[in-house]
Amino acid sequence: MASPCEVLLEDVTRATATEVTDAVAREAWRIEDAFSRYRSGNIVDRINRADGRAVAVDDETARLLDFANTLHELSDGKFDITSGVLRQVWVFDGSDRVPEAAAVASVLKRVGWHMASWKAPRLTLRPGMEIDLGGIGKEYAVDRCIATLTAMTDAPGLVNFGGDLAVSAPPTRRNAWKVAVEGPQAGAPERVLDLRRGGIATSGDAQRFLLRDGVRYSHILDPRTGWPVEGAATSITVAADTCTQAGMLSTLAMLEGKGAEAFLERQGVRFWCRR
Amino acid sequence: MALASATCALLGTSLAPPADAQEDPNWDFNTSLLYYGEDQDRVQDLSFKSLTTRRFTDDRFLTFGLTVDTLTGASPNGTIRQDVPQTYTRPSGNGQYTVPAGELPLDDTFKDTRVAISANWQQPLGEKGLANIGFSASKEYDYLHTGINARYAHDFNQRNTTVSAGFAYSTDSIEPVGGAPIPFTPMLETGNTSNRLGDQDKDILDFVLGVSQVVNPNLVLQVNYSYSNSDGYLNNPYKLLSLVDPITGDTLERPPVAGGPSHEYRFEGRPDQRTQHGIFTQAKLNLGGKVLDASYRYMTDDWEIDSHTLDVRYRWPIGERGYLEPHVRYYTQTEAEFYRLSLDSSEALPAFASSDYRLGNFDAVTAGLKYGWKTRNDNDMSIRVEWYTQSGEVPADQLIGNQASRDNYPDLNAIIVQFSYRFSR
Repeated sequence: MASPCEVLLEDVTRATATEVTDAVAREAWRIEDAFSRYRSGNIVDRINRADGRAVAVDDETARLLDFANTLHELSDGKFDITSGVLRQVWVFDGSDRVPEAAAVASVLKRVGWHMASWKAPRLTLRPGMEIDLGGIGKEYAVDRCIATLTAMTDAPGLVNFGGDLAVSAPPTRRNAWKVAVEGPQAGAPERVLDLRRGGIATSGDAQRFLLRDGVRYSHILDPRTGWPVEGAATSITVAADTCTQAGMLSTLAMLEGKGAEAFLERQGVRFWCRR
Repeated sequence: MALASATCALLGTSLAPPADAQEDPNWDFNTSLLYYGEDQDRVQDLSFKSLTTRRFTDDRFLTFGLTVDTLTGASPNGTIRQDVPQTYTRPSGNGQYTVPAGELPLDDTFKDTRVAISANWQQPLGEKGLANIGFSASKEYDYLHTGINARYAHDFNQRNTTVSAGFAYSTDSIEPVGGAPIPFTPMLETGNTSNRLGDQDKDILDFVLGVSQVVNPNLVLQVNYSYSNSDGYLNNPYKLLSLVDPITGDTLERPPVAGGPSHEYRFEGRPDQRTQHGIFTQAKLNLGGKVLDASYRYMTDDWEIDSHTLDVRYRWPIGERGYLEPHVRYYTQTEAEFYRLSLDSSEALPAFASSDYRLGNFDAVTAGLKYGWKTRNDNDMSIRVEWYTQSGEVPADQLIGNQASRDNYPDLNAIIVQFSYRFSR
């Protein structure tokens, strides 16, 4: 998950705690191995190297692709799992190396879920296209691990993968799980949230941007243009029924740029937006 | 909604229950307005209180308190009823007041405004410790209090056991209206301050040791031991005793002096040390959402006042957002070793004597009801109405002559109404 992962359990024996954390870790590694684009030989790797051929996928991958398809529709194309190739021209390292328009346009030809042919269980991408489930994977893993935890114990638990988290039940010892959301300085919580049910996810990374001629280019790319979204928030934290929903809403809100708050208001969720 | 059902399909689960998350408020304001009124035009107190807590990260809190009291009314001056009117010099030495025949002598000059402030800092110490330090001060017309306090609590046994220790130290200065009277000297005529001393002070040191134990998720028990030592001026400068005839028990008349009191009254005198020990036990029991909170306190001190307090509250949820909480408290105490109704003029003066009814043998019952509810914005409101009744008895061996046929102990009835509002930002 490329980030610190933790499981909190209330009122369990050491044996149960070990058993549950082991099972959660196994599930997290399983998802990482299966869907990380950095692993060779997994389903994502096979799809990305199919070079125009159809690839038949398993049920779980099919569900993830269905989900990505739904998000693509719901967001009018702003959420797109094929947008990862834009990273070939956009490197957000705090420098002023903004790519040439021609280079962006060239890569953009290989971006667009609408160009993929998806009919379960077969996915066909055009040659040069790639998918990246990283935008869904971590939140999906959190919710899957909560399911794993709930199946093993009634004890209230919290699964936190690098700040994207969910709880299985309200704690009994206190009113709520206390979730500190990091502020602009790493390690310094900006606010503390009381979470009793559901999940929390944060999108945004203050350290990833480009700056040229006084213009700040955020790392949130609009897959329809290939260029950064204007007026994107620095970070958006959303609380929703599941970590997956929270993660998708914070990502979609980021893609809304200046309209992030209005978008989230319409969704009727609690959110905290930093600009 | 489309996203919610897509997520269900992805996770292969049914619809998740709605999220419950909110920002932990940084500011908490707890305010209340309390009216306390004794019958027969005795003490009335209107009190405003506020506690403002600023929450910082890592469970650190700074709390400021402010209390403003306005007290008016009359208070028993400690002398006994007579079949004739009695005239007294006001505590200030300026002017007089007269109590009609047969009535309980009340000093009606009781009027004060009290302002109290406090500050407290709380923070965790290590994984299992919690520390508090605080400062307090209050000012009345004739009284200044300043104090510091600290407390440390440590969790053991997977946070099921908490052991705490605390101390408080206060130093108070008393500037009685008209000066502090020399004990057992007579109440003098207006303008005569020859038996008055200047400002007085006292120091109070308190220690408390406590253990609280989570027995099971529905039962929490607590036991505290407390120690308190007061050192300094512990008299009530406005309380007197009647100097009485050894046969009739009637207050001796004073030779007439212009502006002088009608009878012989002596200022009270108490020891300048007091050490108290207390044991407090409490049980909080959750009975399927209804909470029973019962406590018992035993106090004993070297003035020989022993007291027992039994306090029971039962919190009864009403609907989703409200609760009703009946409350009953019973209190009983024995009289102080030096408590006496009057001074026998045929006997040598005792070392210490006070007829303050609060040092007497009495029982008190408080009974009330509180209704609390959460507003639409999740703020807490409550209204509490309580009745207080106190009745005491002067030991029979202290009654002399006519005193036996009079009502000597000033019984007390009071009503308490409190409105509280708590909100967060």
